[in-house]
Amino acid sequence: MLPATAVSLAVLAGLLAWPVPAALARAGWPRRDPLVALLCWQAVGLAGGLSIIGALLVHGLAPWGRSLPAAAWAVLTGDPASSRVRGDHWVTLTLAAVLAAELLGVLALSFVRTARTRRRHRAMLEMLVRPSGVAGDSVAGVTLLLEHPAPVAFCIPGARPLLVLSSGMLAELDEAQLAAVVAHERAHLRERHHLLLLPFVAWRAALPVLPAADRAHDEVRDLVEMRADDVAVASLRCPEPRRTLAAAIVAVAGGAGGEVPAGALTVTGGAVAVRVRRLLAPARPLPAAGRVGALVSALALLLVPTLLLVAPAVV
Amino acid sequence: MNSLGELERAVLEHLWAVGGPVTAARLREVFADRGLALTTVHTVLTRLEQKGFVVSDTARPRQFTARASREEHAAELMHEVLGQAGDRQAALARFVGSVSADEVDLLRQLLAAHPEAGHRTGEPGAG
Repeated sequence: MLPATAVSLAVLAGLLAWPVPAALARAGWPRRDPLVALLCWQAVGLAGGLSIIGALLVHGLAPWGRSLPAAAWAVLTGDPASSRVRGDHWVTLTLAAVLAAELLGVLALSFVRTARTRRRHRAMLEMLVRPSGVAGDSVAGVTLLLEHPAPVAFCIPGARPLLVLSSGMLAELDEAQLAAVVAHERAHLRERHHLLLLPFVAWRAALPVLPAADRAHDEVRDLVEMRADDVAVASLRCPEPRRTLAAAIVAVAGGAGGEVPAGALTVTGGAVAVRVRRLLAPARPLPAAGRVGALVSALALLLVPTLLLVAPAVV
Repeated sequence: MNSLGELERAVLEHLWAVGGPVTAARLREVFADRGLALTTVHTVLTRLEQKGFVVSDTARPRQFTARASREEHAAELMHEVLGQAGDRQAALARFVGSVSADEVDLLRQLLAAHPEAGHRTGEPGAG
């Protein structure tokens, strides 16, 4: 008989593999509170990995004990299995090991690879941008000005974060719009959005067969942009911050044509329109009860598989 | 002060300005006011070569050339950041991703449909 814990974890894993991320991606409320939605996505990702690996482990270790701590202890102390170890136990144990190694391995690899790319980009920027290229007038701090006609702004996170604006960007936008763009990029850096995105980038690469991984990644990437928009708008001092940022987005989108590889066109297009819409006609913020509800659900999502794993068997 | 990073930049600037092959000995003369040892010049050139900014030939003495102009490097960096390469997450968070021409029209309409404050009469909720 399968331990009840393994069954519950498998059911949870099944829910988190498709119905839950699909529902979260379809829901309208995340646009009203991107930060809470981002936390929910982190919980979905973490709980999904925990529950699938946990389900496999609990089933695979069942001959040694009815709960994970008991079974793990028995294996570690060399106690013999109390019931016959069948083929399916070995299969699930192997699967658990492979999956855990893949998820964690890809995450680590992804981390190392992006860190290396960032170092290279940073080195390139340090050579390419003259010290006088630092845009000090309108925007203070470590903002670099890269000579390039396409209007582009991006940031390189890290211990010494860099914010890069292209000369095309400076030509395209007025002072207030430029300040909005800088505030948006600063929000990414300050809130460490790259860390929120990293697991979803890694797991999309690790699980190409799981459509939810793809969907979750796109959703998190868009929410991060919306969150940065919100933070930027709140920090701007100009008369109409929402319209200023929206105008900057539209100007940059219009100016980017021709520089962008064709394959990239449909990737973020829809999300840009969503951003502009929610800036121009903001929805009411999520009521406090909704926020709390979402956060409690996220917490529960993390606690349920954790408790199922560490709690002694009750059935 | 002759920090390596600053020297690298100065040497690369010089190579960009010259636009042709230069020997290490010649570079030492150019930067005579800094009192560099020939080994230092070589170190700087090696580092620039490793970073992909400089190429050298097999002539004796070896001659060093800038691999690409400043503009070409900037374009290369932009391409990586803008591109679809697996690396694109590294620079994360471009302000606006790529948008099709149709989408740009739609965005302009959206902006035009929302006049500036003061001209606004009650507005519908977000779509």
